Amino acid sequence: MLDSTSEHELLILGIGGQGIQLIGKTLAQAATSSGRHAMLAAEYGGEMRGGPSQATVVIGERPLRSLPILASAGSAIVMHDRFCGVVPERLRAGGLLVVNSSIVDPAAAGDGYRVGGLPATDIARELGKPQTAGFIMLGAFNALTGLVTHEQLVDAMRSLLPPYRIEHADSNAAALLAGSDAARDLELSGTVAA
Amino acid sequence: MSATAPVAEMAPLELLEGSTAIARAAILSNCRFFAGYPMSPFTGLLENMAKLMPAAGGVCINAESEIEGVNMVIGAASTGARAATGSCGQGIALMQEAVAEAALNETPLVIFNMARNQQDYFQCTRGGGWGDYRTLTLAPKDVPEAVEHTQLLFHLADKYRAPVILYGDPLIAQTRVGVRLAAPDLEPLAPKDWALDGTMGGTGKSRQVWTWAMGKVTDPGLGPDGHWRAVADKFEMIAAAEQRWESAYADEAETLVIAFGSAAKFTEYVVDELRAEGHSVGWFRPITLWPFPGAALAQATRSSRRVLVYELNAGQMLDDVRQFVHDRDTVRFIGGVSIHESGLSYGPLLDAPVLRDRILAAMAQPTER
Repeated sequence: MLDSTSEHELLILGIGGQGIQLIGKTLAQAATSSGRHAMLAAEYGGEMRGGPSQATVVIGERPLRSLPILASAGSAIVMHDRFCGVVPERLRAGGLLVVNSSIVDPAAAGDGYRVGGLPATDIARELGKPQTAGFIMLGAFNALTGLVTHEQLVDAMRSLLPPYRIEHADSNAAALLAGSDAARDLELSGTVAA
Repeated sequence: MSATAPVAEMAPLELLEGSTAIARAAILSNCRFFAGYPMSPFTGLLENMAKLMPAAGGVCINAESEIEGVNMVIGAASTGARAATGSCGQGIALMQEAVAEAALNETPLVIFNMARNQQDYFQCTRGGGWGDYRTLTLAPKDVPEAVEHTQLLFHLADKYRAPVILYGDPLIAQTRVGVRLAAPDLEPLAPKDWALDGTMGGTGKSRQVWTWAMGKVTDPGLGPDGHWRAVADKFEMIAAAEQRWESAYADEAETLVIAFGSAAKFTEYVVDELRAEGHSVGWFRPITLWPFPGAALAQATRSSRRVLVYELNAGQMLDDVRQFVHDRDTVRFIGGVSIHESGLSYGPLLDAPVLRDRILAAMAQPTER
């Protein structure tokens, strides 16, 4: 939830092929469609798959002062442990850290954060769509933060699909819902800074 | 002092990549001809122009080179069309002969330097070709401002019949931001009675033959001396009329940080943080790189004990700061060359924590005053 002056900064980290850029874009688009200011900055290598992939999303009620290279973030989604060294550098103490516990050990993700581990890759496999792990994480993250409504997230996901990918709309929506459901049972561990 | 085109408050917010936002702003400004050659991070703008221009009734050409592109643009502009090209600094270096000709024969055009970093300050501000001219250059700090500047630049190019530059960068080209797009609401301009229309029969409107203003036997022009004096006078007038800048806390700060473009947005962010912690620091930002807001800088630095220059190059704007600052002995350079390993963007020096450390380190040094 946001008050009128604050900005919510999210760092999304993983490897190419995990949908890092797509989930960042989906959240930023959902926020924009709901009439708020959003910013999406991306950094990724030339590789289609396997290289480092990072997206940052900022959402606020007013024109944003956050930088396209974030000074610090209030929350992070970590999809893969190969490139999550950025977390201690940028995630503020007490921040929300949601990790893909199928790959990343939540206990090793860092101290001083509210950590939630979600076996997104396993849940995605159970759904029969392993490529939707990113949307599971996004559904969970949004349920935890309430940045946009679940419907806004689903609408944004549908609006961003190109015509040749439209057959994935329903499985992506199922993944967002599965993430949102999983978040309900999620216990955030770790210390919360005052 | 920011004097940019107003954006209609009622237009909806759209999440757009900078390159898309700039292309749409250009088309809303009635740009109807675009030609260029792909080069990252300019390529996105060219792609957007190629995609959007036909539906607007305009033409976008992927030229065979930057030289060809800029000369096509001069051709289109000489018929009165609003026309633009772009590249990054390397490609714009190739265009300089044509830019000089356009400046000296008074052809309005807009050049988008979607630069890889801030190493093109001299290129933008000094006049890269031959002759007595400068290129009016606006350096937006973010995507929403790039939209405003794009619309203002088409206006200023026509108003002064001169090539003008938008100095962008990878962060402006590639970041997606919520922006509101609307047709600009700017002062009306004189009709382009100089534009070519193909009319034959001695009208002077059939083609542009650049005779160094010697005119015809029956209708002599100003000649090279008269023409180039007039052009020089025009640039002197632009220099006086078009300086733009903004600053904060200059009168109450011991230390003033000077930066342009994206680096200025980072500076504003870090200075706000430092002030919240009680430090006596402010910032000054040239919005026009040429004309450089020298008088405003002199005024802003009257009581500064330290003037820190932060730019992502070896020290280019630094020359202008030294020229106009109240006391040259107060100036320290805290920027530097910093290039991403890809070669296509900024390196690690463009980062708020790094800038913060540099400002604090400079503030720990004794001052000259």
